[in-house]
Amino acid sequence: MQTRIRRRHIMAAGAAAGGALMLPGKAPAAGGTKPLQGVTLNVSCWSAPYPLMLTKYIPEFEEQTGARVVYTTPSFPIYNQRMDIALATRSDAYDVINVTFIYIGRWVGAGWVVPLDPYFSNPKLTPAGWDASDFLPGTTTVFKNAKGELCAIPWIADIMMSAASRYDIMQKAGFGLPDTFAQMQKMLGAVNGKDGLPGFITENHYGWTFIGFLQGFGGNIFRNPPHDLMPVLDTPQAVEAADFFCNMLRSYGPKGVLSYTYDEVVAQLKQGSMIYTTENEDFVAQMAQPSSKVQKTCAFAMFPAGPAGRFPQIATHGWGIPIGSRKKDAAWQFIAWSMSKDLLLRMFRDDGWSSITRRSIIEMPEFRQKLTLNGYDVAKMYLDTIDLGAKGYMNYRIVPPYPQVDRQIDIAIGNITSGQKTAKAAMAEAQQNSISQLRRAGVKI
Amino acid sequence: MTAATWSAEQRRAFTIGLAPALIVLAAVTLGPAIYLVATSLTPLTPLTPGSGLDFSTPLANYSQALFDSSFVHSVGLQLELSAITVGLQTLVGLGLALLLNIESRFMEAVRTGFLVPMVLPPIVVAIIWKVLYTPNISPLYAALGALGISAGSLVTDPTWALPALAVADTWEWFPFTLLMVLAALQMMPKEPLEAARIDGANAWQMFWYVRLPFIRPALTVAVLFRLIDSIKAFPLIYIITNGGPGQATEVTNYYAFIQTFNFAYWGYGSAIATMMVGGVFILSLIVARLGGTQAVGE
Repeated sequence: MQTRIRRRHIMAAGAAAGGALMLPGKAPAAGGTKPLQGVTLNVSCWSAPYPLMLTKYIPEFEEQTGARVVYTTPSFPIYNQRMDIALATRSDAYDVINVTFIYIGRWVGAGWVVPLDPYFSNPKLTPAGWDASDFLPGTTTVFKNAKGELCAIPWIADIMMSAASRYDIMQKAGFGLPDTFAQMQKMLGAVNGKDGLPGFITENHYGWTFIGFLQGFGGNIFRNPPHDLMPVLDTPQAVEAADFFCNMLRSYGPKGVLSYTYDEVVAQLKQGSMIYTTENEDFVAQMAQPSSKVQKTCAFAMFPAGPAGRFPQIATHGWGIPIGSRKKDAAWQFIAWSMSKDLLLRMFRDDGWSSITRRSIIEMPEFRQKLTLNGYDVAKMYLDTIDLGAKGYMNYRIVPPYPQVDRQIDIAIGNITSGQKTAKAAMAEAQQNSISQLRRAGVKI
Repeated sequence: MTAATWSAEQRRAFTIGLAPALIVLAAVTLGPAIYLVATSLTPLTPLTPGSGLDFSTPLANYSQALFDSSFVHSVGLQLELSAITVGLQTLVGLGLALLLNIESRFMEAVRTGFLVPMVLPPIVVAIIWKVLYTPNISPLYAALGALGISAGSLVTDPTWALPALAVADTWEWFPFTLLMVLAALQMMPKEPLEAARIDGANAWQMFWYVRLPFIRPALTVAVLFRLIDSIKAFPLIYIITNGGPGQATEVTNYYAFIQTFNFAYWGYGSAIATMMVGGVFILSLIVARLGGTQAVGE
């Protein structure tokens, strides 16, 4: 019984795919039968602003196509673990998934997500004007496999920024937003504890939040990624960066600073319970939303520069189709709909979604105007940051065994901040453990 | 039919009757266990096709583990966590069972109330304690603040993170010991207690020489179950500390999880899991022998 239903659904999905894709936006399906009637699509992404905003639009897709969408948005670590297993086992449990930035090397490299070129380049499957080339090259390049085929459609280009929740306190103390690490340290020393508030907070995924500081001091993760993956976590620059960063956390962070996840950081910033942060644009931009208590006191700037330069981290995530999915055509319809210009524009206008990956929207005057948050031209910071990323300093992040090294950095920063180890000892340990992990992963170093 | 033939027929009938159950048991218990051990002898990772059938260096994972400082560290932490949690749960459960061993409707209600933590889903317990341990949202910290006491975060302090997890685990699981001991106490005949009372035994002597020997088998079973369960501790660590700060709460179970599911070293993770099963088996044997011998000796 189960098999019969599935087969029928697959056939229905396949037969209807072309027709349905001719109907983007709000147009209802012609005739009585909807193209994906009876098809259930399992879609999953980690819990972030865009996937959560998408929740309210999914009934429109269901209405247009007749498909039923089972949509899940677990937290970032849970999502990644769940999906890693599903992909590795070629499971058919999911039809549309988020291809997570730090897993690109593993998931795309192993061929666990299918190339999307046959879908978006086929006019029978994709409506005219959908235009895959409209997505920022900086965000699509990383999703290409060895053959140059695009394996995910980026839904976000997220950048690391500098932002104040209580800029009023900083101004009162005679400081603006810091442009360098040295200014940042001086400012935090002056404002920490004012109004009873901690000066600095950033999320406890240090394999992400620390790297801008590591590179700013002249350090890196690997010697020359992606070609030479010898870790370089114990260099004097890396030790200096770790010492600086952990001192910020220890001296100016809240109680239990090591336990703050990204959602807790966002909540604290919107409450005005922390003064300053270096965090993702899509997180800090929420301070300017009507639901925020710091709409009038938030401020934004580019990530500060260190002695070696400015290295704001850039991440991208994209929708992909697992190789095990049995409803690939229907899955593509979901992706094409969710990343259509019409829908993204509505999400931008109605929900304030700003980490857009389509150039045609970013270049609209309306976008620039709306992304001027509390008087700050965040759109310019966004584009300038993405331009900086073109230098290639994010290459370390898309090598298959990066998650292993990411964990070692988390441990090292935890050890230093909690006073268990000196920066030198903790980074030396991270270096040794990273080498062991990479060797276990079969990397020749 | 001779007695010998009858006996053989009986054995045959038992065997045939038991066979389906044994086959199912083997399929659901032994099968995965054998697969786990077999996997531990390979470098299995989903990233390398065929690695699950590579038995060329069968003990490589085990020898790697011996020289893996993080693994060795995790075993020490595991023993520490198990010792604290089992010790606390035994003491609290036993103490409360002795206090609540009174026949009244009110006490029945109180006893039921104490069982609540044990029936909550572990993830809910973890979230409750995550809130309690997070200074800026915790009612506990708010109360301390109102009293003028400024306390730091326990779960990000390397000295206190493990004991803090042990307290949460104890809160969740002391009712199990309480339940076991209470059941044993309520089964206890009144005569030995009356005899001891007539002989002039005080409360401590009554406990030590009369009650404790009687409840020891139940207590042994409770300790054994809690010991095995303590080694499986996961949700509290995952939600509250994520193994940190640094590796201060990265016990073996959690380490195996990271290796297997974050890094995709399924072979290595299986080797760690196999060693854990062996460790639990040996510990269980020791505890069972110890408790059992003494109970019989009494």
